[in-house]
Amino acid sequence: MSSNLHLELVTLRGKKVDQDIYEVTIPTETGPISVYPDHEALVTLAIPGALAIRHNRDDPDSKLEYLAITGGVVRVSNGRVRILVDEADHSEDILEEDSKAALKRAMELRENAKDQVELEKAMELVDRHAVRLKVAELRRKRRVN
Amino acid sequence: MASTRQLKSRIRSVGNTRQITKAMEVVAASKMRRAQDADKAAASYTEAASELLSYFASQGITQKHSLFKVKHVHRRLLIVVASDRGLAGAYNNNIFKQYVQELKNDHAAGDKTPSVAFGRKAAQFVTRLREAELAGVYENVSDQLDGGELQAVLAMAVEKFEADEIEAVDIIYTKFISSIAQQVEVKRILPAGFTEVEVAEDLNEAVYEPNPKKVLDAVVYRLVEAQLYQTLLDAKASEHSMRMMAMKNASDNADELVDDLTLAMNKARQGAITQELAEISGGVEAMND
Repeated sequence: MSSNLHLELVTLRGKKVDQDIYEVTIPTETGPISVYPDHEALVTLAIPGALAIRHNRDDPDSKLEYLAITGGVVRVSNGRVRILVDEADHSEDILEEDSKAALKRAMELRENAKDQVELEKAMELVDRHAVRLKVAELRRKRRVN
Repeated sequence: MASTRQLKSRIRSVGNTRQITKAMEVVAASKMRRAQDADKAAASYTEAASELLSYFASQGITQKHSLFKVKHVHRRLLIVVASDRGLAGAYNNNIFKQYVQELKNDHAAGDKTPSVAFGRKAAQFVTRLREAELAGVYENVSDQLDGGELQAVLAMAVEKFEADEIEAVDIIYTKFISSIAQQVEVKRILPAGFTEVEVAEDLNEAVYEPNPKKVLDAVVYRLVEAQLYQTLLDAKASEHSMRMMAMKNASDNADELVDDLTLAMNKARQGAITQELAEISGGVEAMND
């Protein structure tokens, strides 16, 4: 039995995470899944949302590391988790105020979209910023605790 | 021997040329660094994507997916990646040489090969050839690819592929190895997972959630797009490297030429002075007599 899990979070701008961890929670179409060491081989789809990493077995929830990810594909095998997404941002790198403003702008764009293409683009933006804002909030809550 | 004044003006003009080539060298160098960084950053994603595609293929779940279907190739789509501007050494010519070679192989079947051109030079070249049929042109593609061109080109390729108009899609591009080494390569991106990559990990039967078809539908397109993206990044990095080298050589040659001309000018000037002195002393001698 392997005692740890190797996580690779690969984006088009390089590897965001490449290290041994204890647990990772991934948002998927059928709900969030938590992957621990010795998880069975699995291929599934990640959806835009918050990814949570627990580095050590004894870490409390307040020490979880959060990342905002866009959709992508997840592959689990032999104690390795590999997640391919377009974009991923550490919660530390996201400013809550900025995300709020960006989300508001994206929503305005959605309201004012003239055609289907613009609407699609605006919806994508809304999703993206909603996720980022959620991740930023998670981090703030963690600090309060 | 040329006069001092002629030599002087040549030195000035070569010096001006050198200034331009030097500036282009510096610009290309900084663009090259940025392009290299982008290329390296995306490499791990593409590698993982290729491995995943091979993994899917090895699992035997891909037979039913249209993008994985391997067919007998009668007609294929060629994507030619060259530059918008020249002065990049052999960059464009190397690509064109390979392209003509590929066309020759296809032409035996008596068909025109549909081609998509990236870069103005590529478009100009493709239109001149009888064996090719221009299917699309993308000019002035920015170094920071935003995906618009990629999606357009891929959408067209996939549509033709699924309609059985073509049986394969190949890209001719310059693979970036290092700042001084680049190599023209032909890469097949459709059918997906065609170029087999070694799958590093176990080949356990994996569980697919929600089901294999949904997973494939959602990701295969993205993964193929990533491969296309990588080839364009490679091409950009190669272009800037080759332009930098070409301009560096041009600047070095200009330096050498200026040195040679300066030497020739000094000789000419000294010759003129010697001549004048000889004439003066000759004159003095004549007056003394």
